Amino acid sequence: MSNVNWIGFWTLTGREVGRFFAVWRQTIIPGLISSTLYILIFGFTLQQRISEINGVSYTLFIIPGLIMMNALTNATSNTASSMLQMKLLQQIPDLLVAPLSSAEISLAYIIGGTIRGFVNGILIMILGVFLIDMPVLHPFLTIGFILMVSWAFSAMGLMIGQLADSWDMLAMMQNFILTPLSFLGGIFYSISMLPEWAQMISHFNPIYYMINGMRFSILGIADSDPWLSFGMGLFLTFLFTFLAMAFMQSGKKIKV
Amino acid sequence: MSNLAIQINDLTKSYGKVEALKGVSLSIPEGCFYGLLGPNGAGKTTTINILTGLVLREGGTTSVFGRDTIHDYRFTRSKIGIAAQELSVDWFFSIEKLLYFHAGYYGMTKKVAKPRVDYLLDLLGLSEKKESRLRQLSGGMKRRFQLAKALVHDPDIIILDEPTAGVDVGLRHELWDLLRNLHKQGKTILLTTHYIEEAELLCKEVAIIDQGIVIAQDSPKALIQQLGKAGISINLSGSPDHLQDQLSKFTFTQKDNRLHFTVKDPDKAMPEIISTLVKNGCHIHSIETEKSSLEDVFLSLTGKGINE
Repeated sequence: MSNVNWIGFWTLTGREVGRFFAVWRQTIIPGLISSTLYILIFGFTLQQRISEINGVSYTLFIIPGLIMMNALTNATSNTASSMLQMKLLQQIPDLLVAPLSSAEISLAYIIGGTIRGFVNGILIMILGVFLIDMPVLHPFLTIGFILMVSWAFSAMGLMIGQLADSWDMLAMMQNFILTPLSFLGGIFYSISMLPEWAQMISHFNPIYYMINGMRFSILGIADSDPWLSFGMGLFLTFLFTFLAMAFMQSGKKIKV
Repeated sequence: MSNLAIQINDLTKSYGKVEALKGVSLSIPEGCFYGLLGPNGAGKTTTINILTGLVLREGGTTSVFGRDTIHDYRFTRSKIGIAAQELSVDWFFSIEKLLYFHAGYYGMTKKVAKPRVDYLLDLLGLSEKKESRLRQLSGGMKRRFQLAKALVHDPDIIILDEPTAGVDVGLRHELWDLLRNLHKQGKTILLTTHYIEEAELLCKEVAIIDQGIVIAQDSPKALIQQLGKAGISINLSGSPDHLQDQLSKFTFTQKDNRLHFTVKDPDKAMPEIISTLVKNGCHIHSIETEKSSLEDVFLSLTGKGINE
């Protein structure tokens, strides 16, 4: 066997992708439905009462944030739930006894989560293009940024899934951390609309940079410096990938 | 001397303050059918799990075909197929697909794995259920699937942790036949079991492990001969007299016309006893033997039954 078990690695990646496609009603459709509802309810109704933000209509303004929220929550929950499920259902030993390195296992999981995040993000983008004729100013940047953020949060999810002991912990992470940070990251507003203290706090929210990076890629407008957004995305990608691989290597909570 | 398939030297492992392994050493020759016996919590599963990489070893060495299980893990893991005690569950994929995944983890492409997957599904009577999910299978079928998974990459060493636990008698015999066939094909088999008769029946060598230490290691027959005791009861026609001297080399009790001998090896002792009795004019009415079993050996070594 060579230095890399490529077949093993791609098999696990395929399994991870196949897993969420097998339950597409749970993993793909809900994001599409909730985003459509956000666009219809928040966008179309509030658009008549809210003037343009930074020169774009309110409906258009919220779509990049919805893309980001959808991509990163799906990427996180794919790896987190898959890893926890494998632990609870006694499947993880199948991987640990196989000639797969911890790096191969981590990266296969991360790619699986990235693909789910990416698919979910891109579908919202397509929804925006078809539903309200959304222009995509920098298409390659948009695709690249969705991929990068999906990767970062997929790696974070893997780490959380490995450390979690129950579904409760995952739900807590989703409901108490990820969703509030996404909403407070400026999906539905520009932070310039907030009081100064709230604006300052927003700068400590990493998701704020992700949402504004996406908004810049699609609409060419952003509250934060686009370079700072992309830099933050890159930093989180490296940080979470490094941590996820280090945890896998340590065997914490999966080996005794 | 044959090559060693598995070598474990002075293996130690603690879980918090509990010392699970206190220096376990085992040498398992290539092609051997080897049994690891011990009561619950003796350290059998920990030993196996360290070999396969599920548990981190603390002290000692573990090697497979002479190569370290940590530094050369790709080689050593590819040589081992393990059927764990715990049955896994999967909600998403058919059992056939799961076997392909498992083969893939071991570096087999779908094309290479196909004949092997088809063969194993057929061999283990799972062909008709190949589209089923694991949760739809009966306990016995799940156990068969577990074995198919262990064999899918055609490993040289097969490790089975309680393979017949909770299966009915029919399936147990089927699994025994299968294991015998695998052994005939030259596979090295390491088995842990709670059924001592299973080890006595199948294994060429056994190790008895208790409280993290190997307390005996040999063939079941040798262990029984060394550590077991058998009984021979002989009923004579009429009451025998003056036999104490003639039979002084044996340990026996006499009650009326019934003599009860306690011997290590009844096959060796019986002809001598019979010939002494006949020479002394005794008429033998009936003979009963009570052979010692591995279970007796286990009991005398550990002071408890295997299920205690």
